[in-house]
Amino acid sequence: MNSLSEVLLALFLLTDFWMAGASRLMHCIRLASYQGIIIGLFPLAMWHWHDSTPGVGVFVIAAVTLGVKGVLLPWFLRRAMFRASVRRELEPLVGYPSSLLIVLAAAAGAFYVCEKFGIGSPGAPMLAAPGAFTAMFTGLFIIMARRKAITQAIGFLVFENGITVFGIGMMLEYGMLVELGILLDVFVLIFVMGIAVFHISRELSHIDADRLHLLRDDRKKEELV
Amino acid sequence: MISLWVIGWPLVCAGAAWLLRGRTGWLRLLLLCGAAGHTAGAVALCATMKTPGGFGADWIAPDRLSIIFLMLTSLLFLAVSVHTMFWLPAEKNAQETRERPDGLLADHVFVSCLLAFLATMTLVMLARNFGLLWVAVEATTLVSAPLILFHRSARSLEAMWKYLLICSVGIGLALFGTMLLAVAGQGGHTGLGFSDVAAARGTLNPAWFKAAFIFILAGYGTKMGLAPFHTWLPDAHSEAPGAVSALLSGTLLNCSFLAILRFVDVMPEPLRPFGAHLLTALGLLSLAVAAFFIVRQSDFKRMLAYSSVEHMGLLALFCVYGGANGGLLGVLHLCGHSVIKMTLFLIAGNLLLACGTRQIPLLGGLAKRLPRNSWLWLAAILMICGLPPSPLFVTEFLLLFLLPPWLAATVLVLLFTVFAGMTLAALRMIMGADGSVVPEPEAARSSERLWVVPLILLCGAVAAGIVLLLALV
Repeated sequence: MNSLSEVLLALFLLTDFWMAGASRLMHCIRLASYQGIIIGLFPLAMWHWHDSTPGVGVFVIAAVTLGVKGVLLPWFLRRAMFRASVRRELEPLVGYPSSLLIVLAAAAGAFYVCEKFGIGSPGAPMLAAPGAFTAMFTGLFIIMARRKAITQAIGFLVFENGITVFGIGMMLEYGMLVELGILLDVFVLIFVMGIAVFHISRELSHIDADRLHLLRDDRKKEELV
Repeated sequence: MISLWVIGWPLVCAGAAWLLRGRTGWLRLLLLCGAAGHTAGAVALCATMKTPGGFGADWIAPDRLSIIFLMLTSLLFLAVSVHTMFWLPAEKNAQETRERPDGLLADHVFVSCLLAFLATMTLVMLARNFGLLWVAVEATTLVSAPLILFHRSARSLEAMWKYLLICSVGIGLALFGTMLLAVAGQGGHTGLGFSDVAAARGTLNPAWFKAAFIFILAGYGTKMGLAPFHTWLPDAHSEAPGAVSALLSGTLLNCSFLAILRFVDVMPEPLRPFGAHLLTALGLLSLAVAAFFIVRQSDFKRMLAYSSVEHMGLLALFCVYGGANGGLLGVLHLCGHSVIKMTLFLIAGNLLLACGTRQIPLLGGLAKRLPRNSWLWLAAILMICGLPPSPLFVTEFLLLFLLPPWLAATVLVLLFTVFAGMTLAALRMIMGADGSVVPEPEAARSSERLWVVPLILLCGAVAAGIVLLLALV
């Protein structure tokens, strides 16, 4: 237990709330990059420095996370945003004030559940589990409540950040190979999504994901092509 | 070493495809080369499986289950790549004659993604660690997503986006489940290797394991197409070209099922009833959803996709009620389903090539114009519904005896509903009065030439079915 990791987690929670209320995509992307930086620093902050110095692996993973989640992915999302020429989410399915309230309520719920069921491992930061759950919920909420494809991609990134925070916060060890593999997957996913966003914007001349409703089962006969 | 070969060789070929951009003939040869090399590797792996160890055996190694899956995937991929060699030029010609041609994915991207898809699926099957398994399953989503975009239309874009988003979120839940599994094993500081977890089975924390199982089932269940997480499946399978749908349905769904099986394998004894309830509920729901949508379906590729949902539901039931030989029975069902479904999707691709529409009400009387494809289509539809010479008949028949009576009755009714829906649609397409869409003679001719691979697959399935029937009697 040390205070630096709690501070980082508190900042992480703050970015979730901020993200729920942000309408400009630029803000969302910047917040996602802050989250990436926090996640990169988190394992170093968790380390008990006075007992031992961490191995090379810890530094490698921290550096790669910082590079991928803090710099590369936000840069890529920003590029996709400019190429698709969208700036902000104009008509979200759920308004910003109510989004913020919903995410706040979810955070309260996460704290209550973690308190009640004693989720957390000894020595892990107090905020780790509730912070992770809140981020996962925020990510899923953004995916569902926003229309633009690119906002949904950002939502997925937040969701995945939440899972990562849970993994680091509970001090799980699953090997460097797996951690790097997960990072690679997330990177490629956002990369492919960025390309898809570009194609969607060109094809449909807007990137509202909720206009994507051509495929369904109950198509009327007149609509048949 | 051979394990590394079967993963590495397709990857190398996938990379080489980018060097050969623009050279169509070479690219097709490369695809065949990659598939054949993989099959050779799989056979060698099968022969030398007894010798243990080797480099990185904690991470990647075959076992009995994965060898079956690997051989099946490898052979089916080989079949599809042979079919693709002839289908690709035909598809290009057909697009050129259309009034509104779709742009097609560049050849080198298509071939490269197909080969990378094979490599990632092989990694899923050979992984010996839950973390690596997750990485591999997510990677299959990423490399198969561009394949759905083969026809660059708004519809396939929509299908691809849904596939990417729904599957990634689903698999994200599976990652969370994998982490919960690690938490469950924290008492003994178990790693995530299959053998580590299996050895520590008694000491796993049951509450955490339960939570982990729920998330894993939801996550990999999404990828496998279990209702209610199946929503991406009909869209992706209907929009992708026939060869890709065949791979998605015949091999990718198996990989996700394998991931769930791995997890069921390490489940502690006291939690078995809990897992069984969950799997039964999802399996039955999948069957019901599939039956409902098949009966009122007007798109023949979506119909096949829902039939995949149905069979995934059956596999979940096999997983629970298979009994002593359940593992074997379930795997037999899976193999039968893969081969027949692959045949169906390849023929569906041929029909689409000839007619240019997937709408059943617009089609009719195809037996006169596309005789080979039509009769193969009808035969395969009957086989997938489990009519006797089919291997699925034997497995479903045995399953019904293993189920409790109320469940057996429900499953039987649902199977009959599916049978009625699918045969009605197939008969209408083949024998009914001429539809408003008549295949163009040129496209019809080239589609009729693509009948060899489906025929071989179907004959294989029939032969297997007859052997199984004789064994049963």
